[in-house]
Amino acid sequence: MQHERLVANLVLLNVDGVECRYGSVKVLEDVSLSVEGGDFVGILGPNGSGKTTLLKSISRILKPHKGTILLNEADIYSLKSVEVAKQLAVVPQETSIGFNFSALDIVLMGRNPHMKRFQMESEKDMAIARKVMNLTNIWHLAERPMNELSGGEKQRVIIARALAQEPKILLLDEPLTHLDIMNQLEIMDLVKDLCVKEKLVVLAVFHDFNLAARYCKSAIMLKDSRIFAAGNLTEVLTSENIKSVFNVDAIVQKHLVTNSVFVVPLSPQKTSSYKKCSIHLICGAGTGTALMKILLDEGYSVTAGVLNVLDTDFETAQFLKIPVTTEAPFSPITEKTHKANLDMISEASLVVLTSVPFGFGNLQNLEAAIAAVERGIPTFVIDEVPIERRDFTKGKAKALLEELRSKCAEFVKDQNELLSILNVSVENLKIAKEERDRILAHLKPEEVPKETKIRSKDEKS
Amino acid sequence: MSTDEVESTFFRRTSRWKLIVLLLVLALIITVIVSLNVGYAQIPFPDILGILGKQIGLIDPSLISSQNEAIIVQIRLPRILAGVLVGAALAAAGVLYQGVFKNPMADSYVLGVSAGAAVGASFSILSGIGFVFLGLRLVQVAAFVGAISAMFLVYNISRVGSRVPITTLLLCGIAVNFFLFAVVGLLEVIAGDELHAIVFWLVGGFSNVLWRDIWAVLPFVIIGIVAAYFYVRDLNLLAMGEETAHHLGVNVERAKQVLLVLASLLTAAAVSICGLVGFVGLMIPHLTRLVIGPDHRILLPTSTIIGAIFLVICDDLARVVATPFASTLELPVGIITMLFGAPFFIFLFKKKKQSYAA
Repeated sequence: MQHERLVANLVLLNVDGVECRYGSVKVLEDVSLSVEGGDFVGILGPNGSGKTTLLKSISRILKPHKGTILLNEADIYSLKSVEVAKQLAVVPQETSIGFNFSALDIVLMGRNPHMKRFQMESEKDMAIARKVMNLTNIWHLAERPMNELSGGEKQRVIIARALAQEPKILLLDEPLTHLDIMNQLEIMDLVKDLCVKEKLVVLAVFHDFNLAARYCKSAIMLKDSRIFAAGNLTEVLTSENIKSVFNVDAIVQKHLVTNSVFVVPLSPQKTSSYKKCSIHLICGAGTGTALMKILLDEGYSVTAGVLNVLDTDFETAQFLKIPVTTEAPFSPITEKTHKANLDMISEASLVVLTSVPFGFGNLQNLEAAIAAVERGIPTFVIDEVPIERRDFTKGKAKALLEELRSKCAEFVKDQNELLSILNVSVENLKIAKEERDRILAHLKPEEVPKETKIRSKDEKS
Repeated sequence: MSTDEVESTFFRRTSRWKLIVLLLVLALIITVIVSLNVGYAQIPFPDILGILGKQIGLIDPSLISSQNEAIIVQIRLPRILAGVLVGAALAAAGVLYQGVFKNPMADSYVLGVSAGAAVGASFSILSGIGFVFLGLRLVQVAAFVGAISAMFLVYNISRVGSRVPITTLLLCGIAVNFFLFAVVGLLEVIAGDELHAIVFWLVGGFSNVLWRDIWAVLPFVIIGIVAAYFYVRDLNLLAMGEETAHHLGVNVERAKQVLLVLASLLTAAAVSICGLVGFVGLMIPHLTRLVIGPDHRILLPTSTIIGAIFLVICDDLARVVATPFASTLELPVGIITMLFGAPFFIFLFKKKKQSYAA
């Protein structure tokens, strides 16, 4: 019962088939959405996709050529400015203040729609201004002139002014541009709180996916002036949508701590005209994730193994389309996969062993590294975390690592050292590999891996 | 600082406004009375008060010399009241222009209003017609019509659909302003004997003001200032930018339209009496803002009164500074406003310029 009563009091904003044009250029086409009290809607999209235009048409700055915008079933363009201002507040991207008003003066201006023409600010208006300035943490700045405030402080004054209007709908156009991370979270927590408790409708343009994901219940994604996707945030903010709208690869996962979706955009893949050489990563538990991306970007072809399915590194590899030798989830490496891994290793011109923790399940990966050294494949060991701390095999792993060291595998202290070595030694690598081929040819002619293909690639470099 | 202190400071500030206005009105009245004593004929103060008392029926008329009465009532009083009206109108118009344009350099020149008046006046002076319309000289009518026409011209050129963006308004205004002053320059070149009259009008002065001039412009000035007062809070909001003002419930286009028409009407009325008196419209609002703050609710009334006081005092100076050299020579008031006003403004600005640094 109570729920029904609540619904009756909710404001409703209905945007239906809106089309906006600047001259003959369509900047918004066939956009429809419907929101009601308590909705927190993120508006996402690349530059020029129509996000700001949408807010402008809702806030009556840019009248649509087609379609309607209804506020509680009344055409918003037929309402008086004052009537709209009582229900709808806007926090714009940029603000410039003409003369030197104090912060309090400016927040009190938010009371304008509620005041009669010759009325002065009442105690009630002051109480509201004080409340919103306390909420936004700027009451101590009340008497300071606006021009003397920092960018972040100004932004909070503007947000306080919008809240002083006591709006039912709040439009935020990239409201957090000038705020540092703590202020961003503070302000958004406040807005979210009002949204939940006071059934405020919030429509916010975001550039930061993660902020959007953290606060929005639903989202619309705009592309080329049209709605590309709309609905629950998790349905809209997917790596497929991000790829097709923003043309950026991104990993989208649920965050363990915040329990909201989080997005890691990857820098656009650098398309190298050649493959430097192929590198096999022996990794796991996320220790290889960063390297995979970096090495790919650097133009290496990358393989990995043995990785258990569902391992973080496995998921990254899947995402980056890296060939992997896999083992079933949470299962020890079998002889068969170990062999497959060795086959993959022998295709590589370089092997990298990350600081992965070792248990009895993946001990064979260490043996694979030793095998690589024995086959004369240059092998790097990233010894970032001391083996004592990641050896869960009662010293077996440590012993194998010592064996690796004695067999002249190259130990580096971290990933960065590896990368700096790689950058200089690619040329040397080629020479080293040719030498190895000669030696191997003498020893076991029949076991020489198919090197010719790889070398032909290398020669171009 | 305790929170209550902030609130009480605010309310104390706003409740002081009435007192400030009252004191300024008092200062204006004193200025007017003192100014009646300024001039070539030496009339003692008691006589001046007596003459004023007679006008409102308080004093026995037989005690007053009729020559002195004529000087005070027919010459000095209209002239001083003209100073009050023109000063008030120009300062109020300046507040409106600067508020609407959000630009501290805006004044009656930006919309071509002054230039339009100058063209009208110059043409009528050149025409040499001693035409009188409803008791007004042709120069006055022509200046008024020229000012209003220029404003409508600029406004209509600048219009984009139903909106009048400030940027186009400023650019068109400046273009029209230059064009019209070029026309004035052309008229000056061919003016011959009338050149002196045109130049004198362009600097502005009150030497020929009569009672009928006062009655003619009084309604415009009163209506203009009172109507502008309806929009003082809108002016505050317009200072936040047009979009923000719109979001805060201002009907921006209508407010702009009304305010610009009112400002131009005030300017036209003022210059029709006395020619182009510079500086008042530009600097008085600034000066007042430096002292009183940017809130238009108090800025408009105080600027208006301070403008009136300022111009009356300038006119007093105009009447007396030259008398040691030639007893009947007087300087145009427009020269005085700039000669004395500008240094004073710079002095004040130096002291408080911090609040102007954005």
